[in-house]
Amino acid sequence: MPGQGGCRGRTPAVLGLLTLAVVAIGCGGPGLDAGTRDGEKVLYAPTASIRSLDPARVGDVTSVQAVAMVYETLYEYHYLKRPYTVRPLLAAAMPEVSEDGRVVTIPIRRGVYYQDDPCFTATGGKGREVVAEDFIHAIRRVADARIQSPGFWAFRGRIVGLDAWREQSQSEAGPDYDAPIEGLAAPDPHTLVITLTEPYPQLLHILALHYAVAIPREATEAYGDALGQHPVGTGPFILHDWIRNYRIEFVRNPTWARTGRIETYPAEGEPGDAEAGLLAAAGQPIPFLDRVVQFQVGDASTAWLMFMRGQFATSDIGRDRFDLVVGPDRALNPELAVRGIELRQAPTLTMSYLGFNMTDPVVGPNRPLRQALAHAFDGEIWVRFHNGRLLIPNGPIPEGVAGHASGPPPYPYDLDRARDLLEEAGFPGGIDPATGRRLELTLEIGGEESAEIRQTVDLLASFWAPLGVVLRPSYNARPAFWEKMARGQFQIVRLSWVADYPDAQNFLQLFYGPNATAGPNRARFTDPEYDALYEEMRGLADGPARDALIRRMVSIVNRESPWIYAGQPVSYVLSYPWLLHHKPHAFPYGMRKVLDVAPVREF
Amino acid sequence: MSRSSPWRLAWRQIAGRRLNRFCLGVLVAYTALAAYGEGVYQTARLRDRTPSYQIVDPEMQYLPPVGLRERMAPATEAEAGARERAGRWRHPFGTDALGRDVLQRLVQGARIAFWVGILTSAIAIPIGLTLGLVAGWFGGRVDDVIVWLYSTFASIPEILFILSIAMVVGRGLTGVYVGIGLTTWVGLCRLIRGEVIKHKERPYIQAARALGLGHVRILFRHLLPNVLHIVIISFTLRFPAAIGTEVFMSFLGIGVQGEPSWGTMISDSRMRLWYGYGWELFFVTGAIFLVVLAFNILGDALRDALDPRLRRVDLPG
Repeated sequence: MPGQGGCRGRTPAVLGLLTLAVVAIGCGGPGLDAGTRDGEKVLYAPTASIRSLDPARVGDVTSVQAVAMVYETLYEYHYLKRPYTVRPLLAAAMPEVSEDGRVVTIPIRRGVYYQDDPCFTATGGKGREVVAEDFIHAIRRVADARIQSPGFWAFRGRIVGLDAWREQSQSEAGPDYDAPIEGLAAPDPHTLVITLTEPYPQLLHILALHYAVAIPREATEAYGDALGQHPVGTGPFILHDWIRNYRIEFVRNPTWARTGRIETYPAEGEPGDAEAGLLAAAGQPIPFLDRVVQFQVGDASTAWLMFMRGQFATSDIGRDRFDLVVGPDRALNPELAVRGIELRQAPTLTMSYLGFNMTDPVVGPNRPLRQALAHAFDGEIWVRFHNGRLLIPNGPIPEGVAGHASGPPPYPYDLDRARDLLEEAGFPGGIDPATGRRLELTLEIGGEESAEIRQTVDLLASFWAPLGVVLRPSYNARPAFWEKMARGQFQIVRLSWVADYPDAQNFLQLFYGPNATAGPNRARFTDPEYDALYEEMRGLADGPARDALIRRMVSIVNRESPWIYAGQPVSYVLSYPWLLHHKPHAFPYGMRKVLDVAPVREF
Repeated sequence: MSRSSPWRLAWRQIAGRRLNRFCLGVLVAYTALAAYGEGVYQTARLRDRTPSYQIVDPEMQYLPPVGLRERMAPATEAEAGARERAGRWRHPFGTDALGRDVLQRLVQGARIAFWVGILTSAIAIPIGLTLGLVAGWFGGRVDDVIVWLYSTFASIPEILFILSIAMVVGRGLTGVYVGIGLTTWVGLCRLIRGEVIKHKERPYIQAARALGLGHVRILFRHLLPNVLHIVIISFTLRFPAAIGTEVFMSFLGIGVQGEPSWGTMISDSRMRLWYGYGWELFFVTGAIFLVVLAFNILGDALRDALDPRLRRVDLPG
């Protein structure tokens, strides 16, 4: 029954809303004029702690978002299209890959200039043009052992000569930034040639990460370790002011206007974008904003109240507040809807799963048992319990990732079928013939026990109770939990995998045999046919042949059922209608350039 | 026990007040419920069945208790349907997030609380009593060592100490028992030691010594009965304290696991307080309040009745 949530005469809910309303009114109205200042378009937003603005040194979402304001990568994800697609940013075109898949040639855009900075002594402080060497320099810095970049995983063992250069950088002499690396070459200033140790189609996604940015060597040499406070990039904004742990301000990069660089708002999107007004600005020059000011608000309640006053354009919804903001019917609380606040939701590229340990003597060799448990998993109730913040996936590749195919879940809720399979598995009625009692399975959980986790486990246990299977939770401190994972000492585990990049390979690697002991294949799934298909798929570029392989691999995983797909979390964001072109994005880095704020009177 | 023995007099004094009788009644009721809860738990275990208090019914989630059921408007059609199915009297204390019966879980919580109170006392009281008797009686080096030991224990923040012991022993009820048991003997030890030091110069002990009785006999036949009232009073006061600690530990997620405890119920009920689904919290805190109040009032009354200095009834000459 939409529209009834939160308005049911229940005292605490009403009190909570009244408090919000009083605070909002008491602070002189919603304050929606925050979007403009002295004729400038300003976006005010919250931020978490920013560690550094040096792209090689950061890996956390908040810092990377700040880095991406100033620095630009070779490729970026399309703002509107789903599934996420890569498109050139500082590259002039998509890369050319040699026939053997090992040599990747990337043309670099001409006429892109760095922001003005005193480090450019040769030009008297004027920013120079971006050249291919700058990207090589950025990759070298990520490989430099002394910088201890969190991003070296993306290049390890992939580029010819880079690992050896890293070894050398660890020596006493230190890194030699003039020493050539065989796999990284710039035959001319606007061509970058990367030679790979083996075909690596995912390189395209790696080059969309902030580790492959244009960074001038002049700046890294001039500022050294202080580069983290003194970014010099090509992006739509430049750093204006930063008071650590309090406030950071970016202003429009004047170099774009001076050098005549024009970027435009995307003209294509997915179905529904035009209706949502997301294509209204198609073809217009970006960035729209003159200034972006972000405050680091330590207290979640304060940040929430600042959003309620209209001081911030967006807000995420903390777990504690979720029930107040989004009612049981998953609609926005009417009190907030009246204020014009919009609720946006989008699936995250995360897969939550229950993994069976394939080396466990009970669940490992017994496929019907795993299938029976999967059939008894009631997705509908699971989703309802999680307040609709989950989608039930139909395979190991979540929605929004290239390679995902729509279709029904492989093991729909069916208790009768589950009972039959359990009998086939050798546990008729759930009775373990070895003990004469109900079969007991143990679920390993990492981290502190919270009410939510406890109830989730109890709910899960209730799915299997009708089969006669008892689920025992085992709560572990994090180090002990990961130790158990590393040793394979578990029966069932609840885990999630967050995509590094939106490609099926990122999820399919979780079932690849050689990844079982030290890699991310936590279920320790091994299947020779799957491994052969994976190795074949890994080197293939996108296309029907690769899609066919992916389909076969997914069907093997679904058949063997090493995982029960426990949901793809959906992210919820609130925003005011005066924030234009806002669309949730799984890779939001550098995307503030498409946002705009409108004068309030239009609403 | 003669007609006018101190115990009988104490009982008369306690039972003479209406409030004391009420508290005693409360404790008897709790004990009966805990015993019933234990019966339910053991029956399910022996029969290898899921006990009724663990049966999840998602259709029945957040059913308000009797009295509120008619007053709270259902949020969804599913909720309205559930109320119709439940009728007027089913789940009288309402249900929780997973549709489990709050009353049955409350009873199970009482079971856990009683086990915690009894077992931690069974660990702590013998330690505190023995060490207190030995330290007070022998004095000298032995006393020094024991005083040093309990001073060291007392100087460690209690909660941290309990948590670290529980971490070593492992999460779950055993950790709770051992953690609370091993850390809460200090107070009793101190009291007993002081009392023994006082008693050992009294004529009846001097007489026992003069008769040539051994240490063990004097300690346990002569001294112990004269300090036993301290143990009883201490038990009634530490029992609710142990329950409180268990609730706290379970609330933090390092206590009871897999079984309903008052702590986990409070923790669970926080999740939907915003909606006004507060009955689980209300009943649990009410239950804790009642049991703690009853124990404390009875403890006070026992102290009044058993401590000779506070005795109001004159002993017959």
